[in-house]
Amino acid sequence: MDNAPRPRSPHVQVYRPQLTSVLSFGHRLSGIFLSLGAVLLVAWLLAAVTGSASFGYLNAGLGSLPGLALLFVWTLALFFHLCNGIRHLFWDAVIGFELRTIYLTGWIVVFASIGLTLVTWALALWQMG
Amino acid sequence: MLIASSDEQPRRKLLKRFPVPYNAQVPKEFRIQPGKSWPVPDGAKRIKRLNIYRYNPETGEPPRIDTFAIDRDKCGPMLLDALIKIKDEIDPTLTFRRSCREGVCGSCAMNIDGTNWLACIRDLDEIDDPATVYPLNNLDIVRDLVGDQTHAFAQYAAVQPWLEAEPPADGKEHLQTPEQRRELDGYYECILCFCCTSGCPSHWWNGDRFLGPAVLLQAWRFIADSRDEATGKRLDELEDPFRLYRCHTILNCTRTCPKGLNPGKAIAEIKHKMITRQS
Amino acid sequence: MANDENHIAVQRARGLGSARAGVSAWRWQRVTAVALVPLVIWSLASLIAVAGGGREAVVGWLAQPAAAIPAILLLIALFWHTALGLTVVAEDYLHHGGVRMIAVALIQLGCLVLAVAGVAAVIMAIATGASG
Repeated sequence: MDNAPRPRSPHVQVYRPQLTSVLSFGHRLSGIFLSLGAVLLVAWLLAAVTGSASFGYLNAGLGSLPGLALLFVWTLALFFHLCNGIRHLFWDAVIGFELRTIYLTGWIVVFASIGLTLVTWALALWQMG
Repeated sequence: MLIASSDEQPRRKLLKRFPVPYNAQVPKEFRIQPGKSWPVPDGAKRIKRLNIYRYNPETGEPPRIDTFAIDRDKCGPMLLDALIKIKDEIDPTLTFRRSCREGVCGSCAMNIDGTNWLACIRDLDEIDDPATVYPLNNLDIVRDLVGDQTHAFAQYAAVQPWLEAEPPADGKEHLQTPEQRRELDGYYECILCFCCTSGCPSHWWNGDRFLGPAVLLQAWRFIADSRDEATGKRLDELEDPFRLYRCHTILNCTRTCPKGLNPGKAIAEIKHKMITRQS
Repeated sequence: MANDENHIAVQRARGLGSARAGVSAWRWQRVTAVALVPLVIWSLASLIAVAGGGREAVVGWLAQPAAAIPAILLLIALFWHTALGLTVVAEDYLHHGGVRMIAVALIQLGCLVLAVAGVAAVIMAIATGASG
């Protein structure tokens, strides 16, 4: 047989996005975004405890409009990763692999994430007056 | 919105493909080009258009997408009927694998409208107009819709997909109760069409070392078989960050299986066995 | 010959053999995940309650054992889970062996450093609370 190079058939370029692959990619993307937030959390804690001026700057930055938008997206990522993570834990116990259940729980995760984010923000804003 | 079995097509498709460049990561000489538009048959009332991936290694040209139009009133109901009609009457160089035409051999597996299925059991009513027909994903292309499955079958051979057991003392059959035999249901029926493995993003990125859903389902079929005596050895061979643990439960495999099987569940069962043998 | 090609292909598929490892990472990812479910809910609720109160309120809250202990557990579980998760991502997308190994090392060391820094912050808060 000849060993000339041959083209590889397209994959991500042509495969149709489905609930399965989209939610899985969302789980990964939200995880990466949460990691960046975790770095910021440690920076914030250190700034608070060492009494440095950066605490004020961080709080001001987070309280600004773009900062609040970022926090909103971060809480959405948090709730999505949390709810989808629980869905993953059920799968690890070999529960819920029927296609109908995969789709039902997938949509529940999507709506629960959005709902929990909105409720949390409503509570937080009400509590801070 | 709620899919209950893999043969269901969604009523609305928000996105036909991920928003990445069409020829992303493809070397320049293999970038897919627009191809030939074949003539529409005269006097046809019901026309179906098909955009089909073409590649001829003998011409040195890059792969292209040809558009064919067929008269549905003069063609069988399935996509495979349309492909055979095109080969018979329009372009005899169109190349594809096929055999049983009833969904049991796995030869005509291809990517239809973005997802993998068997052409012989995909009704022309269920696909778009124009429909897109690509070969199974992430395979080296031999010609047109025929992909090189050597590596996929090599991974299959590597899990030793046969019964490993000492002959019974009386020299007759390995006995198995009906309950033990039921453990194999949903796994033995695999026809090795590789729709699932081709549709697995983890296999796209790490297909050289990740075994993929089809092979892992067959590996589970033998681990679950009460007659097999090499369970420990099989699990040892699978316990690898790449061979097994590149599976992140994406579940494209279960969504696409044309036989309605559940590779995702089989892999979860293997991972469960991995944990239970450690505690 | 087709048989030779298949034989070579099977040898290539077998590669360097099974690493006989990987269960441990999978297990600890799940254990830290289960731990993180209550810890994250508690942290989010606490952060919302305390963040508006200014720097002293934050440090004062963190100094109490009822907050310090779950905070330390959160930091350990969070950065362990993060390290495992990002390691898997690096292994998926980086295919050059050397680059992959360096990236994984940086990720794991980075998470260790951040976890220690976070725990140190909590301990400093307790010290401030004890002395002040």
